[in-house]
Amino acid sequence: MRFFLLAAGVVFALVLCISCGGGGGDTIKIGVAGPMTGDQAKMGNDEVNGATIAVEEWNAKGGVLGKKIELVNGDDRRDPKEAVSVANKLVNEGVVGVIGHFNSSCTIPASTIYNEAKVIQITPASTNPAYTKQGFKGAFRICGTDDQQGRYAADYAVNVLKKSRIAVLHDKTTYGQGLADEFKKGLEGRAEVVAYEGITQGDKDFTAVLTSVKGQNPEVIFFGGIYPEAGLLMQQMRKLGMDAQLISGDGTIDPEYIKIAGNAAEGTLCTYSPSVDKLPSAKNFLDTYIPRFGEPGPYSIYSYDAVGMLLTAIKETGSTDYDKLAARLHEMKYEGAKGTSQFDEKGDLTVAPYIMWVVKGGKFVPCE
Amino acid sequence: MAQFFQQILNGLTLGSIYALIALGYTMVYGILELINFAHGEIYMIGAFLGFILFSYLMPILGLWISLGVLLVLVFIAAMIFTSAYGATMQHVAYRPLRFSNRLNALISALGVSIFLQNFVMVTQGSAEKVFPDILTNEGIILADVNISYVQIIIIATSLVLMLALTLFINRTKLGITMRATAQDMKMATLLGINLDFVISLTFIIGSGLGAAAGVMVMLNYRSINFFIGYLAGLKAFTAAVLGGIGNIPGAMLGGLMLGLIEALGAGYISSEYKDVYAFIILIILLIFRPSGILGENVREKV
Repeated sequence: MRFFLLAAGVVFALVLCISCGGGGGDTIKIGVAGPMTGDQAKMGNDEVNGATIAVEEWNAKGGVLGKKIELVNGDDRRDPKEAVSVANKLVNEGVVGVIGHFNSSCTIPASTIYNEAKVIQITPASTNPAYTKQGFKGAFRICGTDDQQGRYAADYAVNVLKKSRIAVLHDKTTYGQGLADEFKKGLEGRAEVVAYEGITQGDKDFTAVLTSVKGQNPEVIFFGGIYPEAGLLMQQMRKLGMDAQLISGDGTIDPEYIKIAGNAAEGTLCTYSPSVDKLPSAKNFLDTYIPRFGEPGPYSIYSYDAVGMLLTAIKETGSTDYDKLAARLHEMKYEGAKGTSQFDEKGDLTVAPYIMWVVKGGKFVPCE
Repeated sequence: MAQFFQQILNGLTLGSIYALIALGYTMVYGILELINFAHGEIYMIGAFLGFILFSYLMPILGLWISLGVLLVLVFIAAMIFTSAYGATMQHVAYRPLRFSNRLNALISALGVSIFLQNFVMVTQGSAEKVFPDILTNEGIILADVNISYVQIIIIATSLVLMLALTLFINRTKLGITMRATAQDMKMATLLGINLDFVISLTFIIGSGLGAAAGVMVMLNYRSINFFIGYLAGLKAFTAAVLGGIGNIPGAMLGGLMLGLIEALGAGYISSEYKDVYAFIILIILLIFRPSGILGENVREKV
């Protein structure tokens, strides 16, 4: 009996090995990485949905270089350690490029792996400036950066809202704390920072830190972080009788934030890029996305354009060679769904404006 | 000064939740000397069941009965269903290992924990479940302290449940039976106590309390996901150890203390290290009093 079990086990293992010996060289593989499970799962899934639409459009026109394009998912659960693991896995699968990751705290460690393995990386959403300061020629970012974003929010708080007592909160991540610090720097002494505190991602109860901040009478609270915590913060602020204005960044601007904050969400301000709803270039994307996946998240369209840029580079250079693709991407002027995208020598977009959005009538709309 | 009282209130709200979950840990440890790692997941399942039951019952019964009555029904139903989970878990994963190595049961508990987390993740999805904002956010303001109605309900319900448990344990025959089994399992069986029944009851009560905590957390914070059991379980276990593992008033005390330490630490020292304060206190306490605040020393075997 034991021998039989052992033999069966060996055969089973062999079968597994054969069937996962790589799909052969007849598809071009592109990786998509982000948090696909866990409390920020919506963001990762938004990335995948946007990328899926792009890949299917290209495959319908015959793929690229005569081969079909295959999307490979990597779930990093917004955990930097997991992100490194995912990066290694994607590299081993033989991807030409990766659209990812979502969180800056994941994108930056993963970028070291992609750079060593000579895999192109385009992040649709990571805004921390440190990513492109590493000097990796194959690392790109199709969104804005936090030094601009933080500064814009600071200018808005001082010039438009004309507030002078501001509390700054962050979620201790590369992105959240980075953005909060840029905001603080951007204030440049024009307003008083009455509190600077960190909260933990995944935590639900912020009444303690909010009570302590409340004692400082802030007029504005700036939060650098992502929507689950932002929603809970806003909800609990109102419960504690705080009527300070909440300003947050692009990590918060998701319909999920409004659900979590509930009635308290009305009036929240968030920085984000200008609206794409009315852009003619986005019409096609939105018409395909909405019936299939519902309302797009803030980064679905970025993911879509990132895939488009990568595939265009492959097509125009006629190869999947890392150096050629990197060079081509640095020169490319791409007309995508969200408008024109062009990279500078660091890999950032040349033009990435920010505007202020506000929650009005239960939805995020651009401020007038 | 108002800020201080506000923080005390915050701490008591948080602590009530920890206390309810800690009771589950301590009761099971008292009888089986097993740390039920899956208890955090029971709390999470309680929260999910509360959410699911509400989603189903609201459209059907919403027109007939008031919201408050519906929520009480959901609360009780969630406790019952979760107790069923707890009893099943005991029967399937712990009972077969009852007389074997303690380590085996511990590993089994870890396995159940992982299984339940993934079970909920796969069946309910991995995104946050958000309970609609239909409960009032109102409250009363007493001496500059904002006391929301939901906070009052949480603290009051927890106190009622803890009082009920204490009365049950101390005054009823079943309660005394459970205490006897916890004191000396072998002797209890020799005296004719039905071991299976007592142990199942322990899990049922513990899971019910965990579920109560879960439902209240869902109502208060309104967003839950399959992973909340991990951190809550860890903290509640710490609370149980703080109060003396195996000791029921100890779990209640430990839970409330933990909540207060977290709130006061995060409010007055720094919020960045919020999770650390509780563990520091635990380490210091265990160095000087290894059995916890109310714990008894290990019995000498004569």
